[in-house]
Amino acid sequence: MTFLEISNISKTFGKVAAVNDVSLEITQGEFVTFLGPSGSGKSTTLYMIAGFFEPTAGDVRLEGRSILAEPSNKRNIGMVFQRYTLFPHLSVAENVAFPLRVRRRPAGEIARKVEEMLALVRLESFADRMPAQLSGGQQQRVALARALAYNPPLLLMDEPLSALDKKLREEIQDEIRRIHRQTGVTILYVTHDQEEALSLSDRIALFNQGRIEQLGKGRELYDAPRTRFVADFIGHSNFIDCAITRSEGGSADIVLPDGGTLNGISLHGAAVAGARAGLMIRPDRLRFSPLGEGAEPGIDAVLTDATFIGETYHVVLATGWGASVNVRIPASRIRPQDLTMGTHVRLHWEAGDARLFGQ
Amino acid sequence: MTVTDVPIATPSPVLAAARRRGRGLAPVLPALALIVVVFVIPVLALLLRSVLEPEPGLQNYAAFFASTTYLKVLGNTFLVAGTVTVATVLLGFPVAWFLAIAPSFWSRLLFAIVILSMWTNLLARTYAWMVLLQRTGIINRTLMEIGLISEPLPLINNLVGVTIGMTYIMLPFMILPLHATIRSIDPAIFQAASLCGASRFQAFTRVMLPLTASGIAAGALMVFVMSLGYFITPALLGGTSNMMLAELIAQLVQSLLDWGLAGAAALVLLVITLAIYMVQLRFFGFGQARG
Ligand SMILES: Nc1ncnc2c1ncn2[C@@H]1O[C@H](COP(=O)(O)OP(=O)(O)OP(=O)(O)O)[C@@H](O)[C@H]1O
Ligand SMILES: [Mg+2]
Repeated sequence: MTFLEISNISKTFGKVAAVNDVSLEITQGEFVTFLGPSGSGKSTTLYMIAGFFEPTAGDVRLEGRSILAEPSNKRNIGMVFQRYTLFPHLSVAENVAFPLRVRRRPAGEIARKVEEMLALVRLESFADRMPAQLSGGQQQRVALARALAYNPPLLLMDEPLSALDKKLREEIQDEIRRIHRQTGVTILYVTHDQEEALSLSDRIALFNQGRIEQLGKGRELYDAPRTRFVADFIGHSNFIDCAITRSEGGSADIVLPDGGTLNGISLHGAAVAGARAGLMIRPDRLRFSPLGEGAEPGIDAVLTDATFIGETYHVVLATGWGASVNVRIPASRIRPQDLTMGTHVRLHWEAGDARLFGQ
Repeated sequence: MTVTDVPIATPSPVLAAARRRGRGLAPVLPALALIVVVFVIPVLALLLRSVLEPEPGLQNYAAFFASTTYLKVLGNTFLVAGTVTVATVLLGFPVAWFLAIAPSFWSRLLFAIVILSMWTNLLARTYAWMVLLQRTGIINRTLMEIGLISEPLPLINNLVGVTIGMTYIMLPFMILPLHATIRSIDPAIFQAASLCGASRFQAFTRVMLPLTASGIAAGALMVFVMSLGYFITPALLGGTSNMMLAELIAQLVQSLLDWGLAGAAALVLLVITLAIYMVQLRFFGFGQARG
């Protein structure tokens, strides 16, 4: 059942369309991440749900009811911000108690809840500290406890870890995952770090220029990107320039700059015969073998560089027309003597691993 | 007190080292000398005259506190200074807030107005109020024309006029420290308060006020203390029957040539001012913004 329904919301600032016709349905307990480059409209979308921005168009429904008419203090939504927003004049315990105090809950209940929340974020012993006495990571954990203290059905997080160093970030990611499991709260999370998005989320909405470019599980975005932008943003990709010679029902034949041809490659986006396109293949899906061994279709190239980076080799090859192609091969699948510089090889791949994106 | 006082309490090692070598005071000596010459010495002289003239003893202080006229002047002074302080807080807070959150064009414009009015000659501004407040002034005429009053209100030559004029003149001294305090607060804190369920009123009382208390206290101290000793505006907008302390001192010196009693009155004012400053120091440190 749909828990949070965002339908066709847009937000324009002057002439800039910060968010452009975004729709999204989220089920209860789901962890959905907004991923995308800077300025792509992730925060703006979140802020419209929080009630800080009024959408130019569209609707937001929580449990079937539109929340747009309600001011943010009536929405009962939790949020952790990118910047540190603990109240500097209140202790950790008082910060967590704040949402309950403004709701005029009885003192006993507040005390119990504060204790429970501080235990949830493992900061019981910090109850009497002031925010200025906490590290950045601890402040964000207190902010998380404060945002969950009133059992909001929905928790928004806008790049809560972006100010922290990598190790601490990973630690708190684990905490967030655990808290999500433990509380079952529905989470909308914003980040521009794809590893963070992949490790935390049930589903990822990849934003680009105010639109959701693709929505799906991380693995879907990686394996079946629908646009060149998605393929480029998630994971590593090779894009080989080519021209389409024939296109029919989502599949196309192409000609490469050196005149080589390849047939029946899955095509995404409109492209007619004669149009230019990009042939996308992940570095870990590419294989190569010495020329003349078998006659698999592929691209001829010369080995120009190979680096052992632990478990895998990172191999760089140059095509006849000077483009470079990256390949990753598990160390167990190749012998060092097969990686002699200047060797002429043929690059090949499984039929399903190549995708064509019209330009 | 709070942690945030720590940076104030722990001076940099460089400064501490300079202080140990006894060189810390050198740069401030000229200013210190000036203060001693133009402030400490005259105050001491006045103090001496207050206990020596016309003959040694405390009779000037006894006379001051025995006179209902003088005590009334003291009361007037406190009443006006207190009212002006409260009025500048109430009027200055919204302005300081607006300055902090308004789009830059509007906040710069308002800031320029505040600063320019501060830079404009004090006498000119006070005379402007005389024009506005007199019986046939704009305020009275307007009120009569719209039929709110039938007789002109007595807005000048009394404490009402003094309070109005001084509130206007003191406003910048409230707005500036308050603005600095409000601007140092991250607006995201109020977004957080709102999502936490706080109404605008609750966000104001539970977040805004505590976070700006030090700024309000700094501004209020400045305005109150300046108002206690203010002379020009009470002299021009006030009446002869309801004086303030500075006017009384001037009159004692200039008309009655009673330096002893003038010294006693001045010292009473100084002691009160210092006492208020100590209280402020006790509760708000040096008036520094917290957090
Ligand atoms: N208050 C505002 N006024 C005008 N333009 C704004 C405002 N807020 C955002 N924008 C614009 O809207 C667009 C989307 O901004 P948004 O903050 O949503 O991006 P984002 O995806 O969160 O980026 P980041 O990763 O940098 O946080 C940007 O072009 C931004 O300049
Ligand atoms: Mg953002």
